[in-house]
Amino acid sequence: MSRRVKLALYALLCVLCVPFVFPTWWMVTSSVKPISDIFAFPPALVPSRFDFSTYSRVFELQPFGQQYLNSLYIAAVVTVGTMAVAAMAGYAFARIRFPGQNVLFLVVLVGLLIPSEVTIVPLFQMFHAAGMTDTHWPLILVPILGAPSVLATFIMRQFFITLPDELEEAARVDGLGRFGTFCRVVLPLARPALGAVAIFTFLHSWNLYLEPIVFLSTPSKFTLPQALTQFVDAYGSPLWNVQLSAATMTALPILVVFVLAQRQFIEGLAHTGLKG
Amino acid sequence: MTDLGNRVADRAAARPRHFWTIPRRDALVGYLLISPQLAGSALFVLLPLGLVVYFSLQEWNVLAGTFEFVGGENYAKLLADPNMGQVLTSTALFSVGLVVLNLALALILAILLDQRLRGTTFFRTLFFSPVLVSLVAWTIVWQFLLQQDGGINGLLGAAGVDGPNWLRGETTALLSVVVVQVVKNVGLNMVLFLAALQGVPRQLYEAAQLDGAGAWTRFLRITVPLISPTILLTSIITVVGSLQVFAQIAVLTQGGPGMSTTVLVYYLYQQAFQFRHLGYGATLSVLLFLIVAALTLLQWRLRRRWVFHES
Amino acid sequence: MKAPLAALALAALLTVTACGGGEAPAAQGPQPLRMSIWTSNEAHLKLFKEIAAEYRKSHPQVGEITFDPIPFENYTTTLTTQIAGGNAPDLAWILENSAPDFVGSGALVPLKSKVENAAELVPAATRLWERDGELYAYPFSTSPFGVFVNTDLVKAAGQKAPRELIKAGQWDWEHANEINKAVAAKGKNGLTILNFDYKAWDNLATVWQGWGAKAWSDDGGTCQFNAPEMVEAMTFMHKAIFTDKSMPGPGTAVDFFSGDTAMAVAQISRAAMLKDATFKWDLVPLPAGPKGEYAVIGQAGIGVLKKSPRAAQAADFLAYFTNSANSAKLAAYFPPARTSLLTADTMAKTSPLLNGDQLQKVVIDGIEKGVVKPSHKGQAELAQTARAALDPLWKPDADVKAVLDGVCAKIQPLLGG
Repeated sequence: MSRRVKLALYALLCVLCVPFVFPTWWMVTSSVKPISDIFAFPPALVPSRFDFSTYSRVFELQPFGQQYLNSLYIAAVVTVGTMAVAAMAGYAFARIRFPGQNVLFLVVLVGLLIPSEVTIVPLFQMFHAAGMTDTHWPLILVPILGAPSVLATFIMRQFFITLPDELEEAARVDGLGRFGTFCRVVLPLARPALGAVAIFTFLHSWNLYLEPIVFLSTPSKFTLPQALTQFVDAYGSPLWNVQLSAATMTALPILVVFVLAQRQFIEGLAHTGLKG
Repeated sequence: MTDLGNRVADRAAARPRHFWTIPRRDALVGYLLISPQLAGSALFVLLPLGLVVYFSLQEWNVLAGTFEFVGGENYAKLLADPNMGQVLTSTALFSVGLVVLNLALALILAILLDQRLRGTTFFRTLFFSPVLVSLVAWTIVWQFLLQQDGGINGLLGAAGVDGPNWLRGETTALLSVVVVQVVKNVGLNMVLFLAALQGVPRQLYEAAQLDGAGAWTRFLRITVPLISPTILLTSIITVVGSLQVFAQIAVLTQGGPGMSTTVLVYYLYQQAFQFRHLGYGATLSVLLFLIVAALTLLQWRLRRRWVFHES
Repeated sequence: MKAPLAALALAALLTVTACGGGEAPAAQGPQPLRMSIWTSNEAHLKLFKEIAAEYRKSHPQVGEITFDPIPFENYTTTLTTQIAGGNAPDLAWILENSAPDFVGSGALVPLKSKVENAAELVPAATRLWERDGELYAYPFSTSPFGVFVNTDLVKAAGQKAPRELIKAGQWDWEHANEINKAVAAKGKNGLTILNFDYKAWDNLATVWQGWGAKAWSDDGGTCQFNAPEMVEAMTFMHKAIFTDKSMPGPGTAVDFFSGDTAMAVAQISRAAMLKDATFKWDLVPLPAGPKGEYAVIGQAGIGVLKKSPRAAQAADFLAYFTNSANSAKLAAYFPPARTSLLTADTMAKTSPLLNGDQLQKVVIDGIEKGVVKPSHKGQAELAQTARAALDPLWKPDADVKAVLDGVCAKIQPLLGG
């Protein structure tokens, strides 16, 4: 590659990444801007002075620490649960022959096609009848077992299909049963696919917006996206800088973790061998 | 297989030593493994879906607490709804725009990052980072940036361009919502494409180059066929996702200006939750479900035409 | 995880057999009460909890009383979703724009005989919550609109302060517009109508009322968006926005409280936001329109839901929550509708940021003669439909009359129904 082509590529990459980086930059810097700076035109790239008081306001206005923990633990439980459910179902659908397999797979796939707005009312009724509204159960059970986990099962199935048959034959020769093969041979190989599922699932749970609003009503049980909409004055007008501080706190730690672990993250995602 | 072998096999099948043959045991394990997913699907997908169909046959006034069977009335209303044309047009424009832009940009970024350049990891991280920002936070920020006097027009102004009032023009509002959504999520598809590209054997390109194939021909004849399974997967996920975009519209435009960004899922939300026409909302849900299902089925059917080595 | 799953399966069966959600069986022991609200302000919640604790001392049969904050933006939507799911609260705050729906549908318990000294409630404040002479919600917050003025900005633009204009009898929209035009010419914002944001058009009633315009006829049956008064009022606003630039245009976020805006039409409760203001400010009544002086109020009521199995107890608590003594406490944050509290002296104790003149002219006079923002049965659908039809108005070359005719064409079917 010639120098000139390289330079052109770098220039292109730099221009392209502006819309990806600028919003985050603006969010982080605006969270410490005085409020008049937020409305300034042209927008200031760097705050004229730093005002960190909004960060303590976040914790005064909402049990933000608790809400952070809620989001984290729900996302963690959902991620682990989904990985287990999807790995099992994906393996069975890909590698085991049993009567009704195709029909059952189609039945499960229906979940891939349903936006959550469609089923939220009946789900709310069910959980209410079970006495589980204003608890975290709906936010945990539905993603692990319901529609959101179907994509995970689909990804796992597509991965398992690509494994060579010899693998299981060898395992059988070694005296391993189906379960043994699944746990000791197949699962370790599925690490990249599981990584992809983990990322998808974690982000899905972390971003869940409609469901928490509908199911939860006590501030100490709220999740982060829901909490973000609560930084308003008593009359519904947003407290912009406080909201941006809270938004920054929901985004930055995840971004930092990602930058540190991004090799595993992305390569895990990349090496799923996702073959439609 | 020899005759002898056949006979042995027949005899083995004719007198099972016990009930739990290997296929039967396998089947049991299979059922066990899928049971959580299947139970979940029945409880959290099929049952609510059935209830939605049932609701769509009712007139349900939440406040008055009345719930009465009206048969196909909501479906007749759907056919006569004067807003439906506009809603379906917006939905189609939005979805097509989103899918095309997302897949094209994802592929372009993946190809750029697949070049042997220093610092691609760095850029990859940047392009992927919006995926990790909470959707609500992301949308709130863009709401600011897209204002008449916001950051986008500030940047454009610095480049000497007089930017439009993004969220107030019908076309620009639709475009804005598409772009906000694409920038947020294109990183995922980009990474999947990148993986697929890295799986294409380099010798194929070298051989084609020797045969005198240009870059474009190599892309069309080698790259596209070899990564077609990934294109299929990403396009299914993206199409389904494009019909479910909701929070962004709720925060950025609330369906306006006019009804230019009132896509089906947002219209459904308005009817069912804001206007409290739960029966009609359920009818729209059924329609949305049928559209998503039809599109997915269509993609799956068409895959044999263009997806390489589909087994 | 097994137990909740079994419970859910059972619940699913229940849902299928008894659709619409089962009523909770009458339980023994102290009964809890739940009130849905839209504020999550600590000070507000603290006051509510104090009142609740006080009530429980004399009512041991009442269990815990919880106050459920729902985000303001999705308030009515979330509340109805909960009701649809069979999880109605016992009491709920209701916004003025959904009042006709709640009052008209029979979802609320009649309250007239329960509310302490209901006779002293200002008629302008209760009209919205009444049907057939019965009161269905208590108007706990009756907040007049006024104009907050950043007097520093007005002075810097070389203009007379609104207060001087009031003294000269010249405080009308034409004069206000001149001030804002001058401020805008200096690169700041002129006048903003808070929360309007070119979407929530019902806030424009604070302007068009001065022209005697109405969104629809008093019986709610006929669209009046294309009546001559409305066309005139909207033409005034259109000129202010696009020709004079005295009102910030669409797609511009404006924040009065940060100090870059000369005037804001807002409810007086917003004065609390000016506690730490870095500029000099004033609060004046809405400017007079061609039809003279007028006032507009925004409202919120508390209702008891019929669906609640503890409705009687809830109504009793509501009566206590809003009795004269507690109304006085609530008045610190929510302007009251009780005449006994509507004196400049009592109000001054609870609104330290406002002076006597401001309280009398804007708050007390406003509550007594105010017109409530427009609301109608099916308001959410009307609001959205009219919003979509009004959007073409917010362009420089809009034909005002044609757009307003279009609004009527769209909403008349909804009004007539």
